[in-house]
Amino acid sequence: MLSLSLSCFPTMFLSTHCPFFVLLVTHFYPRVSGNTVDLGAADLADKARQFPAVFEPAPGGSSSSLSLLLSSFPGDLEISEYCRDQLLIFGQRYEAYVKCLVPAARPVKVCENCFSSYVNLNETYTNITDQVGPGNVSCRDSLLRSDRLMVVFVLFNNLKDLWEKSGCSHCITKGFQGLTNDTLAFMTMLNQTQTCFDTYRQGNHTELCQKCKNTYKDLNELYRTLEMDLNMCIDVEDAMNITRRIWSKTFNCSLPREETVPVIAVSSFMLFLPIIFYLSSFLHSEQKKRKLIHPKRAKSYNSLMNIQDKQN
Amino acid sequence: MANITKKVSWSSRADETGILGEGTPLLNGSEQLTHSRQPSEGRSVFQIGRLSTVDLEEEITSDEDSQRGRPNEIPHNEKLLSLKFESLDYDNIENQLFLEEERRMSHMNFQCLEISRWVVCGLIGFLTGLIACFIDIAVEELAGIKYQVVKKNIENFTEVGGLSISLLLWAVLNSAIVMMGAIIVAFFEPIAAGSGIPQIKCYLNGVKIPRVVRLKTLVVKVCGVICSVVGGLAVGKEGPMIHSGAVVAAGVSQGRSTSLKRDFKIFEYFRRDTEKRDFVSAGAAAGVSAAFGAPVGGVLFALEEGASFWNQMLTWRIFFASMISTFTLNIFLSVYNKNPGDLSNPGLINFGRFQIDGVAYNFYEIPLFIAMGAIGGLLGALFNILNYWLTIFRIRYVHRPCLQVMEAMLVAAVTATVSFTMIYFSNDCQPLGPEDKKEYPLQLFCADGEYNSMATAFFNTPERSVHSLFHNQPGTYNPLTLGLFTLTYFFLACWTYGLAVSAGVFIPSLLIGAAWGRLCGILLAAITTPAPLWADPGKYALIGAAAQLGGIVRMTLSLTVIMVEATGNVTYGLPIMLVLMTSKIVGDYFVEGLYDIHIKLQSIPFLHWEAPATSHWLTAREVMSSPVTCLNRIEKVGTIVDTLSNTSTNHNGFPVVVQVSGSDEPEKLCGLILRSQLIVLLKHKVFVELARSRLTHRKLQLKDFRDAYPRFPPIQSIHVSQDERECMMDLTEFMNATPYTVPQETSLPRVFKLFRALGLRHLVVVDDENRVVGLVTRKDLARYHIGKHGLEELQLAQT
Repeated sequence: MLSLSLSCFPTMFLSTHCPFFVLLVTHFYPRVSGNTVDLGAADLADKARQFPAVFEPAPGGSSSSLSLLLSSFPGDLEISEYCRDQLLIFGQRYEAYVKCLVPAARPVKVCENCFSSYVNLNETYTNITDQVGPGNVSCRDSLLRSDRLMVVFVLFNNLKDLWEKSGCSHCITKGFQGLTNDTLAFMTMLNQTQTCFDTYRQGNHTELCQKCKNTYKDLNELYRTLEMDLNMCIDVEDAMNITRRIWSKTFNCSLPREETVPVIAVSSFMLFLPIIFYLSSFLHSEQKKRKLIHPKRAKSYNSLMNIQDKQN
Repeated sequence: MANITKKVSWSSRADETGILGEGTPLLNGSEQLTHSRQPSEGRSVFQIGRLSTVDLEEEITSDEDSQRGRPNEIPHNEKLLSLKFESLDYDNIENQLFLEEERRMSHMNFQCLEISRWVVCGLIGFLTGLIACFIDIAVEELAGIKYQVVKKNIENFTEVGGLSISLLLWAVLNSAIVMMGAIIVAFFEPIAAGSGIPQIKCYLNGVKIPRVVRLKTLVVKVCGVICSVVGGLAVGKEGPMIHSGAVVAAGVSQGRSTSLKRDFKIFEYFRRDTEKRDFVSAGAAAGVSAAFGAPVGGVLFALEEGASFWNQMLTWRIFFASMISTFTLNIFLSVYNKNPGDLSNPGLINFGRFQIDGVAYNFYEIPLFIAMGAIGGLLGALFNILNYWLTIFRIRYVHRPCLQVMEAMLVAAVTATVSFTMIYFSNDCQPLGPEDKKEYPLQLFCADGEYNSMATAFFNTPERSVHSLFHNQPGTYNPLTLGLFTLTYFFLACWTYGLAVSAGVFIPSLLIGAAWGRLCGILLAAITTPAPLWADPGKYALIGAAAQLGGIVRMTLSLTVIMVEATGNVTYGLPIMLVLMTSKIVGDYFVEGLYDIHIKLQSIPFLHWEAPATSHWLTAREVMSSPVTCLNRIEKVGTIVDTLSNTSTNHNGFPVVVQVSGSDEPEKLCGLILRSQLIVLLKHKVFVELARSRLTHRKLQLKDFRDAYPRFPPIQSIHVSQDERECMMDLTEFMNATPYTVPQETSLPRVFKLFRALGLRHLVVVDDENRVVGLVTRKDLARYHIGKHGLEELQLAQT
C-alpha cells in the first residue's frame, strides 16, 4: 500500500483516487514508524508539505465539493511565481527553436542554423529540472511530473530526440561556440564543388565530369574520413548525399561498365574447368567397386521358396 | 561362426592395414534376397542363392569354389552395408568382476560418480562454447582480411579498368584457402568431411564409426571449417559444431587422450561405451546450442536424432551442458565485441530480433505459410536428389584424395566466379543503412552513396547474408536480384555439400530459403494493393528459411525449437511448426532427408526406430547368422588365439557353451564373451596353469579392461608361445553369464525392438534346449528395408 500511494503521488494527485490513498498513508504513518521505514516516511511527510491542498479533506466528502475544489483552484497555490516565469521563458525559447527548425528542414541545415536556439532551450530546461529558485523552490515536480500529460517534458523530449538523431553535437564545438573546424572545412570544399558544378553546368556533362572530378573526389575523401571517425551531423550527411546524387544521377558521372568482354571470358573459362575435371575423372579414374560379401545363413525354407517363386 | 560380417578395427591403423592386406578371403557370392517379384532378376538370384548355403568354416575345396572365380564386384550404390562398421557395446557386461566391483563401491562412491557426471557435462559445455567462440572469431577476422583485400582491389580496378584481374584474385584466394582445408581433410582425416551430423547420428544410434570421436578429427574439423567458410564456399559453420561438441564430450569424459598419450587418471569409471554415449549426446546438444543459441533445441536434437536411450536425469544433464555452452560462447563473444557482460550473442548464427509492430502474423496468413512449406519441401527434395546423384558420382569416381582436393578448389573458384559475375551484371543499387557498417559494401558502377545489393548477398559471409535477408528494410532487394541469387546459390550449395571439406548445410539452406521467402514476401506486397502492413518481407524470409531447411534435413521437433529460439520469438512457433510439417510431408513423398541419404550412401548399418513394416513373417531363423563359433567355458588358449586370428571370421562376440560332463548331450549356452575381453585376458595371460603355479598372481580387475578401452590391441600384437597355447583359460569369471536370447520363431520386429531398445550388440538365438543355433547382430537387422518393391535386403560389402 505504501509503495502504491508513493507512485501515484507525484503524477496523479489531482485524480479522484489519490487523496484517498494519501489519507490512508497518513493513517498508516504512526503504525509503521519502525526504524526501517523512518526514512521513507519522513520523505513522504516532506512531500506532503509541498502539496497542502491534498491534505485538506473536503468537509462533506461529496463530489460537488471536489469539483468546486478543482475549478476554483487558486493559481498561486498550484505553482510558484518563479516557476511560472520559467514556464514562460521555456515557451518562448521553444517557439524560437521550432521556428528556426522548420525552414531548415530541407535542405537540412538544422545544426548550422539552429544550434544556438537549442542551446538556449536546453538551458531553460536544465533550469527547470536542476536549479532551485528563490525560496528554495524547485519547479521540477510542479512543472514536469504533476499530471499524466506532462506537456513540458514530452515537448522537450521530442526536440531532444531530434537533436540526438541529427548528431549535431558532432559538428558543434565543445562550448557551443560554433561549428567545428572539420565541418567548416567540409563546407568550404562543398562550396568549391558547387561552384565548379555551376560553371560547367551548361553544355556537355562529360566536360563537367572531368573538370570537377578532382574537387569532387577530395570532397568525397574528406567525407569518408569524417564518416570513419563517426564525426558527422545531419547537415554534412545531407549535403553530401545531395551532391552525390547530382553527380551520379543528374550529371551521370558514375563509372561505366566497360569490361564486359574480359569478365565474361574469364568467367566462362572458370566455369569450363569443372566440366573438364568431371569428364576426365569419369573417363580416366578407375571406378570404385565394392566386393560383395556373402553372409552365412541358416538354410532357410523361406528364401528357397522365394527363389523358386521367382523362377516361375 | 556368427557375425562373419564383423571386421576388426581395434585401432585405426590396424583397420586400414587390415583392409588393404587382407584381400578377400571371404565368399564372394552375392545373395540377393529381394522379395520382390521381378522376373528379370530371378535367374541370377537363384544361382547366387544356392551359393549362400556354403559353410565357411569348412575348408572349401568343393566344385563350388571354382565356380566362384573372380570376386564379385559391383559399383558403389546405396543398397550396401559396409563391413567396417561395428556396434558399440551398450549392453552392460554383468560378469563376476563387475559384481565384485559394485560390491566394493560404497554409497559415497556412487554419489561421487554422479557429481563427476555433472562436472564432465559442465566441462563439455564450456569447452564446446570455447571452440565455437574460436571458430567464430577466426572466421570473422580471416574473412574480414580477405574481403578487405578483394574489396580494395575491386575498388581500384573499377576506376582504372581490369576487373577481370580482381575476379582472378578472388577466385585464387578462395581456392588457396579451401585447398588448405581440403588437404587436411582429404589426406589426414576423411571422416571430418561434411557436417558430421550423419556420423554423430550413427554413433548415437550405436554404430562405431572408426575415428569419429578422436582428437585429431576435432582439430581437422575446426581448421577445416574455418578454411571452408573463409574460402567463401556456400557452407556454414553450424553443422560441424555438433560434431566438435561430440568429440569434446568423448574426450573429456574419458579423462585422457589416447592420441596425446596422456592419462589424467580421472573419470576412469566412464571408460566404456554406455557412459561415453551419454556424454556424446550431451556434447552434440552443446554443439547445437552453441551453434544456434538454442539450448532447448540442442537437448531436443540430442533426443530426436541421437540418444535412443535416455532418462530424466540424463536429459537434465544434457540441458545443463547446453546452457553452459551457449553461455560460455555468449560471454566470450561479448568480450570480443568489446562490451563484456552484454549477453546478446548466444549462438554462432544470430537471426536477430524480429520486431513487428502490432501483430506478428494474421490468421489468414497461415495458408500462405503452408504453401511456402510445400515449396520448401519440393525444393528440398530436388536438392537432395541432385546431391544424391552427385555423391554417388563422387564415391565412384572422385575417390582419390588429390582429386578431392582439386574438386574442392574448383568449387571454390567457381563460387567466386559466379558471385563476381552476378555482382558485376547486377543493376540493383541500394543506399546503405547505418546498421550495415560492418559489412563490406561494393559500389562498382552504382551511383555514389549507393551500393550493389547483389554484393550484400554474395560478398559476405553466409551468416551475415542471412541476417540481412531477415532484417533489411523492405525495398532493399529487388525481386530479380533475389531470384537470381536463389537460383545460383541453390546449385552452388548442392554442389558444395559432400566435398572433402568440413562444412555444414544449415546456413546455405537457410540462405536459399530466406532468399526465396523474401521474394515471396515482396511479390505478395506487390500483388495486393495497397500493400498490407503484414506483408513484411523479413517475416516471409524467415518462413522460407524454415521451409527450405526442413525440406532438406527433415528434422521436426528440434528444428522448430531451434528456429524459434534463434529468432527469440515464441509467437512464430506455430507458423514454423506448420511450415516444417508441410515441408517434411511433401519432401518425404519424393526422397529421404539429406542426412539419411548420406548415411545410406556410406553403407552404415543404421537402425531406425521401427522394424520395416510387413516384416512380421520373417523369423529369427531367417535373420540370424549361422552357424556360430562358440567357445567352451574352459577353453584351450590355442583355440582362442586361432579363432581370434582368423581373418575371414572377424567375430566380436562368442557365445560360451558348456558340455554337461561325461554325456553326449549337446552343448548348452552359458554366457557370452567379447573379443575385447579375450584380448585383454590373453595379454595378461590369465591361464589356469599359470594361476596355479604363481599364487601371488594378481587378480584381474575391471580396471584392466577399462585401461585398454577404447583401442584394444589387435590379436597380432599379442604373443603367445607354443607352450602357452596348450594352456587352458577359464572364462567363467569374465563372460557375461546372462546374455539376451530369443527362440528361433521370434519375429523380426520383435527381435528388432529388443535390439534397438536395449542397445544390444549380439543377440543369441537358441533352440528349446538352450543350444546356440545362431546369432543376430546389427547388420543382420539393418539389411532389411522397405524399398520400391516392398521389403528389400541390402548386401554386405567391403568398403
